[in-house]
Amino acid sequence: MLNFTIRRLLFTIPTLLFISFVIFFILDAAPSDPTGNLPLTIPPDVREKIRESLGLDQPMIIRYLLWCKQFFVNEPLNLLAQWGINIGDPDRLRVISFQTRSPVVDLIAQRMPQTLWVVGMSYVVGVLIALPIGIISAVKQYSWFDQMGTFISMIGFSVPTFFTGVLMIVIFSVWLGWFPSIYDTTLVVDSWRTLGLQIRQMAMPVFVLALFNAAQISRFMRASMLDNLNQDYVRTARAKGLRERTVLLVHVLRNSLIPVITVIALGVPQVFGGAIITEQVFKVNGLGQLLIIAIQGGDIPTVQTLTFIFAVLIVLFNLIADILYGILDPRIRYD
Amino acid sequence: MKLKSLLLGAAASLALASAAQAGRGDSGHLNIIYWQAASIMNPYLSGGTKDVDASSMVLEPLAHYDENGNMVPVLAADIPTVNNGGVSKDLTSITWKLKPGLKWSDGSAVTAKDVVFTANYCMDETGGCQQLAKFADVTKVEALDDLTVKITFGKPKPFPYGPFVGSTTPVIQARQFADCKGIKAPTCTEANFNPIGTGPFKVDEFRANDTITLSANQNFRDPDKPAFATVTFKGGGDAASAARSVLETGEFDYAWNLQIAPEILAQMEAKGKGKILAGFGPLVERLMVNLTDPNPKWGDERSTVKHPHPFLSDKAVRKALSMAIDRTTLVEVGYGKAGRVTCNVLPSPAIYNSTANDSCKVQDIAGANKLLDQAGWKRGPDGVRQKNGVRLSILYQTSTNAVRQDFQALIKDWWRQIGVETELKNIDAAVFFGGDQSSPDTFQKFFADIEMYANNFDGTDPEAYMGSWKCSEIPSPENAWLGANMPRYCNPAYDKLVAEMAGTADINKRAELAKAMNDMLMQDYVIIPLVWRGNVAARANTLAGVRLNVWDSDLWNIADWSREK
Amino acid sequence: MTPETTLTAAPKTAAPATEGDPLVRVRNLKMYFPIYRGVLRRQVGEVKAVDDLSFDIFRGETLGLVGESGCGKSSAGRAILRLYDVTDGQILLDGTDIAPLSGRELRRLRPEMQMIFQDPQASLNPRMTVASIIAEPLDEHRRLDRRARMERVFELMDAVGLDRDFANRFPHEFSGGQRQRIGIARALALNPKFIVCDEPIAALDVSIQAQVVNLLEDLQERMGLTYLFISHDLSMVRHLATRVAVMYLGRIMEIGSRDQLYDDPRHPYTQALLSAVPEPDPAAESDRHRIILEGDVPSPANPPEGCNFCTRCPQVKDICKRETPAFRQMSDGRFIACHLV
Repeated sequence: MLNFTIRRLLFTIPTLLFISFVIFFILDAAPSDPTGNLPLTIPPDVREKIRESLGLDQPMIIRYLLWCKQFFVNEPLNLLAQWGINIGDPDRLRVISFQTRSPVVDLIAQRMPQTLWVVGMSYVVGVLIALPIGIISAVKQYSWFDQMGTFISMIGFSVPTFFTGVLMIVIFSVWLGWFPSIYDTTLVVDSWRTLGLQIRQMAMPVFVLALFNAAQISRFMRASMLDNLNQDYVRTARAKGLRERTVLLVHVLRNSLIPVITVIALGVPQVFGGAIITEQVFKVNGLGQLLIIAIQGGDIPTVQTLTFIFAVLIVLFNLIADILYGILDPRIRYD
Repeated sequence: MKLKSLLLGAAASLALASAAQAGRGDSGHLNIIYWQAASIMNPYLSGGTKDVDASSMVLEPLAHYDENGNMVPVLAADIPTVNNGGVSKDLTSITWKLKPGLKWSDGSAVTAKDVVFTANYCMDETGGCQQLAKFADVTKVEALDDLTVKITFGKPKPFPYGPFVGSTTPVIQARQFADCKGIKAPTCTEANFNPIGTGPFKVDEFRANDTITLSANQNFRDPDKPAFATVTFKGGGDAASAARSVLETGEFDYAWNLQIAPEILAQMEAKGKGKILAGFGPLVERLMVNLTDPNPKWGDERSTVKHPHPFLSDKAVRKALSMAIDRTTLVEVGYGKAGRVTCNVLPSPAIYNSTANDSCKVQDIAGANKLLDQAGWKRGPDGVRQKNGVRLSILYQTSTNAVRQDFQALIKDWWRQIGVETELKNIDAAVFFGGDQSSPDTFQKFFADIEMYANNFDGTDPEAYMGSWKCSEIPSPENAWLGANMPRYCNPAYDKLVAEMAGTADINKRAELAKAMNDMLMQDYVIIPLVWRGNVAARANTLAGVRLNVWDSDLWNIADWSREK
Repeated sequence: MTPETTLTAAPKTAAPATEGDPLVRVRNLKMYFPIYRGVLRRQVGEVKAVDDLSFDIFRGETLGLVGESGCGKSSAGRAILRLYDVTDGQILLDGTDIAPLSGRELRRLRPEMQMIFQDPQASLNPRMTVASIIAEPLDEHRRLDRRARMERVFELMDAVGLDRDFANRFPHEFSGGQRQRIGIARALALNPKFIVCDEPIAALDVSIQAQVVNLLEDLQERMGLTYLFISHDLSMVRHLATRVAVMYLGRIMEIGSRDQLYDDPRHPYTQALLSAVPEPDPAAESDRHRIILEGDVPSPANPPEGCNFCTRCPQVKDICKRETPAFRQMSDGRFIACHLV
């Protein structure tokens, strides 16, 4: 397993380099202009100077190599420097956002908590409600609970979050006034009261996203349970005279969880990607919102860096899913 | 109009009075939402309105424009003019005097050197300064003494108020930005996010593209201001949800730039938690009348001055078309509070607004019919008027846009009532405004009888804008259809006024000239104004002192804002 | 400690071929599976997988249950072990009717009766080691400490001829024959009296089949087990069974001692079925007259009127298409359901 992991990790390096180049190439080919969003009253010659100052007059390949140096060399060195290990000149040029003129990595670090709190929590909540729903739906296939579960999943799956989100804002913020409609990213949780505020402001976005996540995962869980429920070894377990609970939880559930866990692991990068729409609706300014603003503003370094980090996470979690599969299913051997 | 301004003045002085009684920080916390989040606190590195507005809470220029477009001194002691000797007689230099005793938020003194530094900071070729156009023709900026700055231009400037007037060009602290000039400008993240300013607030925490937390600047020049102790400037989302957070849930006190359908905005306002504000710049939705013949039979010469229009060259027809329009209905249908009836193509700033053409405010179908009857246009058997075999049949084009198509339908019906037949055409905005030489559908080529769009100008000075309708601005194949004179209007008297304005520095004389030009265009009915379009913002009922300003930052007078009990 | 001394917990009784003390009595057993169709999943019919079975299984004997695939023999086996909720009928195990039982009461009786499944790969939980597969029923039904439990697991592994070192391996690491041994060890863990062997060798290589069959015989002898041996392999049944029942379309056509059936089949279906079995004697084999049945087996969801076999019977008469033949005992002790005999 260790060999497999190392081999796979080594293989990801050229893959990721290739991905980073493709991203850069696509971004360069896309008609985005960092001065495009400026007021029309800024004349073309000034715009040209702005572009020059951003280094956009350089050829694409030079800009790509510069980005590579900044991201793969300067940023890690800078990180080391923060831990007190100084190598080389401390005045390295970091990856700088066009829009904010600040290091992209710092922006990402600043956004991470919101995204993890809200999107991550919604993923956890989604999984926690999806698993029991999927299990019960499968065990009681075609019961009213299963039909309800199917119906709710359908809604969660097919109704977009910008609709459910706005609907919830209208109901819970405008009519009932229970929850704030705008997320306060500056809230510091340091007391029971602020924790309460944090929970209140997280409630709606977490619910909306959890519904969406739960819809997918509960379907997977149900299908996987149904698959296993009809397996011979389940009949064997019943023949052994095991309690139905033991049959379901020990035999069926454990085996059904294997594919579901991989699906869950593969979904984790989406958490880091943030939920662009939901973040926008509830004004949770996390990574998704950072990405969308960067795209709108033609902020190539930010888009490039964020997209690349997502690519890394996707590759990484694919590997994790494979390793988990190997650990969980004794039939799989990678070496 | 008079009564309104009186009331406004009274309201403003009331607000001032209540603010004066209160001390700094008494109003507690202020929540502002901009649905586009601020990226940076330095308008020289980002000209986006959101960034300019956000930094205007911290950084101040020498003078602001007020809500009527008039200059008010901020850091300057007064506004330099030719009369007070601040502007040289040859119009090539302007000398600003700073108020004495001004302090930066870090407690150090504001000097003329900071102003000189700021100018050099922006004029550095390698810095990518986004406000460079404001410094056009500046050849030298020098400090005559600690409180005096002289800006010299390379040519006479009748309107020398480009640099340091308005929030786009504030004064930054020389000490803080000393190492941030030229190519190093983008690397000064700390200075760009937390600039030291003279404004009523200072940044506590700047979260780029998200939220800015500010608190009152303890060194602000007015000891009783600002009334608010702290401000949260939240960004993100969309216009509708920003409006909702002020008007429906009351979570925020002020929301900016709410371009939403008027009926939705009205519904939200009906909740009673806040008010909708509208500010009106020079943006006017108008009809352009083609004085030349767009008939395809003329080939390369269609819509050029070689062939006058068969019936629109008759002023009576043009006037009747204008009289038949019910502008009040158009405003209600299309813009609600974000629109006003106007009879001028130059409705603002207020000093340029003419009242000579106000008769257009009321629809007059009967009058229009009578006018056409008198001019000899007789109704044919199909109800369409004609004279000497020429039928009043109009091709009316505009860009594809729901509101514009509503307008077309309404206007077509009104014109039918005066015996004018109308064919409607809408063109994708990218093509219509795109300026593609090969397309016959651009607004410059104007291969139609009437076209509709909106236009405005930057800043408060209409000189360049009013120059659009000189003879030399007529688009034609000879100048590759470049030029802004869509009606192909050519009047030597008008050109003379334009030339006169270019040599006039006195603001009141300039206003007279601009009005005269506007009236000439209006009374010749070559441009038919429809709706004066504004910016919309929302404020909570408890927020006092807001004076929505289209000429400067929305937050230009945030020092005067306070919480109404 | 040898396996013989510990694996004889069940009373060792003689196994008479045709008579004696019945361990299992099945009476009028019906197992119908409902068919749902349409949007609202309304029940539109039922598959009569097992339709009115009655027979006894005597202590210590092996009753072979034969028939074509789809005839309901596996369903019958599972229904008898109450892996299904039966539709109707009685199943008396040692005098207790287990047909109406459920839940805890049924579970208490599970140690008495076990099943060996057809597909040893699928019937073992892939995520459990051999030891835990075998030990699981012990955890559920016996209170044993860790050591005693492992000791028991090793005993069972010895008994079925599995190396003790394999205890911590997973099923996929074994060959088919070894897996079936695991399945058998698992079935034996609780000292059952009655084992249903549901085609236990069908999925195995021919060379392995003999080993497994020998093991089953060996264990029966040592532990006094009673088998219901379900198979479509008529030769194997002849080798193993004391009595044989022939099923067709959910019903038993004929049941009798092995020799009665194989030497003198009376039911036309039994005759046809057995005519397909090759004779070991070349002379007899050359005389063998193969009866080829025409047509397909009707759907158990829609069995024919009268005798179930009437659509394919070479000797069909009018009465066969009208009346269901009674299941009658013949003078030689066998039971048969046919109008012709």
